[in-house]
Parts: sequence; structure tokens; C-alpha cells
Amino acid sequence: MTDTTTTHRTGSTGGLIPRIDFSAPRHRAKFGYLLLAPAVLLMAVIIVYPIILSVSISMQDVRIARIGDGAEPWTLENYQWLFGSGETWHALWVTFKLVAVVGGLSVIIGFATAMLVNQKFRGRTAARLFVALPWAVPEVVATVIWAWMLDSSFGLVNWVLLRTGMVVEPIAFGSDPTAAFAAVCFVMIWKGYPLMSIMLLAGLQSIPEEQYQAAKVDGAGVFQRFWYITLPNMLPVVGVTMVMTTLWVFRDFAIIHVLTQGGPLGATTTLSILTFEQSFEFFRMGQGAAVGVLTMVLCAIISRALVGRLAKSVH
Amino acid sequence: MQKRHPLATFALYATVILTCAILLFPIYWMIVTALQPSSNLRAYPPQFWPADPQWNVFADLLAKHPFMLWFSNTILIAFATMTISLAVSILAAYALSRFRLRGGTGLGLFILTSKMLPATLLIIPLFAIFRSTGLVGSLWSVVIAQATLIVPFCTWMLKGYFDTMPPELEQAALVDGCSPLGTIFRIVLPVAAPGLAATALYAFVVSWSDFLFGRTFLTTNDESWTLQMGIASLKGEFVTEWNVIMAGSIMASIPIIIVYLFLERFLVGGLAAGSEK
Repeated sequence: MTDTTTTHRTGSTGGLIPRIDFSAPRHRAKFGYLLLAPAVLLMAVIIVYPIILSVSISMQDVRIARIGDGAEPWTLENYQWLFGSGETWHALWVTFKLVAVVGGLSVIIGFATAMLVNQKFRGRTAARLFVALPWAVPEVVATVIWAWMLDSSFGLVNWVLLRTGMVVEPIAFGSDPTAAFAAVCFVMIWKGYPLMSIMLLAGLQSIPEEQYQAAKVDGAGVFQRFWYITLPNMLPVVGVTMVMTTLWVFRDFAIIHVLTQGGPLGATTTLSILTFEQSFEFFRMGQGAAVGVLTMVLCAIISRALVGRLAKSVH
Repeated sequence: MQKRHPLATFALYATVILTCAILLFPIYWMIVTALQPSSNLRAYPPQFWPADPQWNVFADLLAKHPFMLWFSNTILIAFATMTISLAVSILAAYALSRFRLRGGTGLGLFILTSKMLPATLLIIPLFAIFRSTGLVGSLWSVVIAQATLIVPFCTWMLKGYFDTMPPELEQAALVDGCSPLGTIFRIVLPVAAPGLAATALYAFVVSWSDFLFGRTFLTTNDESWTLQMGIASLKGEFVTEWNVIMAGSIMASIPIIIVYLFLERFLVGGLAAGSEK
């Protein structure tokens, strides 16, 4: 930022640097590059270099990674561990299960709430605000609230389940693997559906009203209008939101770390949790980086679907 | 528009109210739990209304934990991240939107892809870098790490916004002798204020809610803990005082819930513009 401003100012006031008139057509492009420079520099230092570094770390047998002279010779040991150990495959399986459950249920809740607040009624502005409110609650806060509601002795959820006779004894969300997985799903759906709702509502609003009116004239009922107009129009938006949610579940760390720390017995250890655990709890950063690289490759493959569509809008 | 049957109107309102009540119940429960006397927390059946609200739970929280320190650290980080990210992304987004530059498309794609990077991968090399530069434990480490995710997102969001603005205004300003940089600050930014507000809000909320970077880079230094780290650590304590945790949670969410309520309409437009196309 500072670079650009100073260079430009000295340029226009005629300092030591030769004066360049950036408004002249032949200098327009230079001005564009100047504007891009800070972002390009920043991203080179904090994104590109770290990615290269992490690939390099993933090929070193290191416990705590360092840069410079402390580097170890390259080896494929970490990748042998990565594909040879059950941990990776288990984490991959947990991640996919989580993506399926959280993605599926939050798109349903998101779609339903978006349709609801797209109706015409007094106070719908407020309703739109409230429906997406969990988006603004920090993940850690959301997680501690749910941890308390799911408490095995005094939690509200267990009280309701016991009261309604759905269970005979309280569910131990902390120590039962299936219950812990369900607990993670609850929090993630609660945090994940609002963004879906926001984006799907924007999609609903862009469907031309004429299509519905024409269908009404032709005698189409509510369900027919939903099936033949709303759904086909919404499919692209639903696709984009699904990809975004998938990527979020793949990368999320805070919710699982605070709620279950990946346990019990690895039942909630996703690839993100495994990366962190290897690097900062067992201090095997080489192995952690290998898991991270795998996650990055998977995210890249998943996001290709999205990027392919979006690429058309970059010029 | 035909008039709705009164019964249908009633059903609609009932559905809306019921839906909001269910979806927002955890927030209500956070507030009720914070205000309960701690003996009531283990009551059977649970108390759904704080008959005897204990306001001193907040004083308790401040007395027992360095809550104000966490709070001010979080505010510092959020404002620094927001300012730096916005400054960088405004210029880049404007360039990507208005200039046909060689490499512009490639850069756009790169920005788009880096939004999708797993942060858990980046923390390993960043940790190595911060260790060798002595930034581990400093608030700057989190600000820098946040920028990895926030700058690409903000650039993309603002580019989408600038794309919707007609370039004629700027051309007129240039013809009238305004400098190119002056055009951005005097013409483009005022018109783009809603988009800027949405982007700033996004950056603020994301950086306020960060847990991963703080947990990784700041854990060793008690002086630079953030709110989210503090609250997570309260949950891990041997005896969990749920009312105190919930009081902390309220204070950690109120600032961004307020920001959200004021700026939501800008945010919705911005998110939709930044991601849907």
C-alpha cells in the first residue's frame, strides 16, 4: 500500500523519480500493475512461499520444522506413512461422512429457510436477519453452547430425549463414538446452514417473477411450480453452495478441536484435525505437512468444479 | 397479487416464528444459562427462565479470568487485519476489475483458488517462518496469518462489486483532471461504500472469530491470548462453570452480532456478488 502511494506521489510532484503521468493512455497499464503490486507481494510472501515450504517440509523427516540451515534431506518416508497407516484412511472416511451429513442437512435447512423468508409478509426483513443469525456467532462460542446443551449429565438435549421417552438412559455425547460424531454434526449444521440460506435466498430472488405468473396462468399448482421452475433455476446456486460447504467441512478445525479434540477413539478426527494433531501435539511436522498436502490436493480437486464455473467471470 | 387467506397468513407467521425459535434457541440458552445461579444449572427439570438473574456473573468472569486482556487483544487483531486486508484488496480488486493486464486472469484464478486452501496446512510453514523471525506469541503473527485467507476473499468480493459499477464516472473524473489514484479515493470508494462495508464486516467477523491461528501461534504467551482461545480454555477446565463460560460467550459474540445486525443487508449483497457468479 505505502509503496504505491509514495511512488505515485513522488511521480506526480516531480521528485527524483522521473515524472510519469499515469492518466496518459500509454501509462494506464503501469498504473494497474502498481495497484496490484502490494497484493501480489503479500500473497507471494504469505501464500505462495508457505505452500512451497510445506511441500518441502512434508518431504523431510522433521519433528519441529525450521527454515534455512536446519533443513533435512528430502525423503518420501512421510508419504509412505501417509498412505500406509490406517490413520489417514480413517480420517478420510470420517471427513467424507461429515461432508455428506453436514452438507446434505444444511442444504435442506438452508433451502427451507430461504424459501420461507422469500415469502411476502410483514416483518420479513427482520425474519431474514434472524434466520441467518448463527452465521455471526463465533465457532468457538457456538461449540461451547452446544457442548453445554449436549452435556451427558445436565444437558438440555438429554433431558428432552429422556422426557419424551426417546432414550432410556442419557446419551454420552463425550465418550460414545457415534454420539460424538452426531454432536459434531449438530454444531456444524447450525453454523453451516445460514450461509446456505443467505446465498440460496439471493438465488431465489433472481428467478424472474414472470415465470411463476406464466405457470399460474397455465394452471400449475404450488408443487408443480416448485418442481418445474424453482428447482431447475436453483440447481446452479445449490451446486455452488454445496461445494463451498464441502470445502468448509474439509478445512474446519475449531468446532471439532473444542468439542471432541478428534475423539473418542478418532471418531471425529478429520484430515484437518489429523494435520494439527501430528504437527502441534505429537510434533511430527513432516507427517502433519504430508496430511496437509493431501488435504490441499483434495480441496483443489473439489474446488475445480467451482473454479471452472467462476473462471468465466475472470475477464 | 391476490390476497392471502387469513388462515394461510396465520400459518405463515406461525411457521416463521417457530422456525426462528428453534434455530435461535442455542443463543437464548446461552443467555439463560449465564444468568442462572450456579445451583440451578444442575436442576431437574431445567429452568427455562432465569427467575432470579445473577448479573454479578459478569463481575465474576472479569475477576477470575483476564477477560479484558483477551478482549483488547482480539479487538487489536480484528482491526489490524481489517485495515491491512482492505487497503491491499481495494487496490488489487480495482486493478483486476478495470484494467486488462497481462497475467491478470492468472492472478484472478490464483486468488480464487487460495480462498480454498486448508488453513491447517498453512500453519505449519507459517509456524516455521514466525519461529525464525521471532513472531511466535506476538499478535502480528495472527494478523499476518489471517491475511492469507482474508485478502483473497476481500479482493474477490470487491472485484465483483467494482464490476457492477459503470466506469463512466471515473472516465469523466479523469477527463476533468483528477489523478488516477484520486479517482479511486474520491469517486470509486464513495460510490462503492456498501460493498466496502460488507467486505470490512466480513474481514472483521472472520478475524474476530479466529481460533486456529491463535491456538497455534499464541498459546505459549498468556499475554496475547484472544477471546476465542480464552473461552475454549474455560471449557477445558476441571470443573466447568457453565454460567461463567456463557457470560464470556455472550461478551465474545455481542460485538459481532451488533455489527451483523447493522450491516447484514450489505453483507448479503456482497457475499452473493462475490460467490455466485
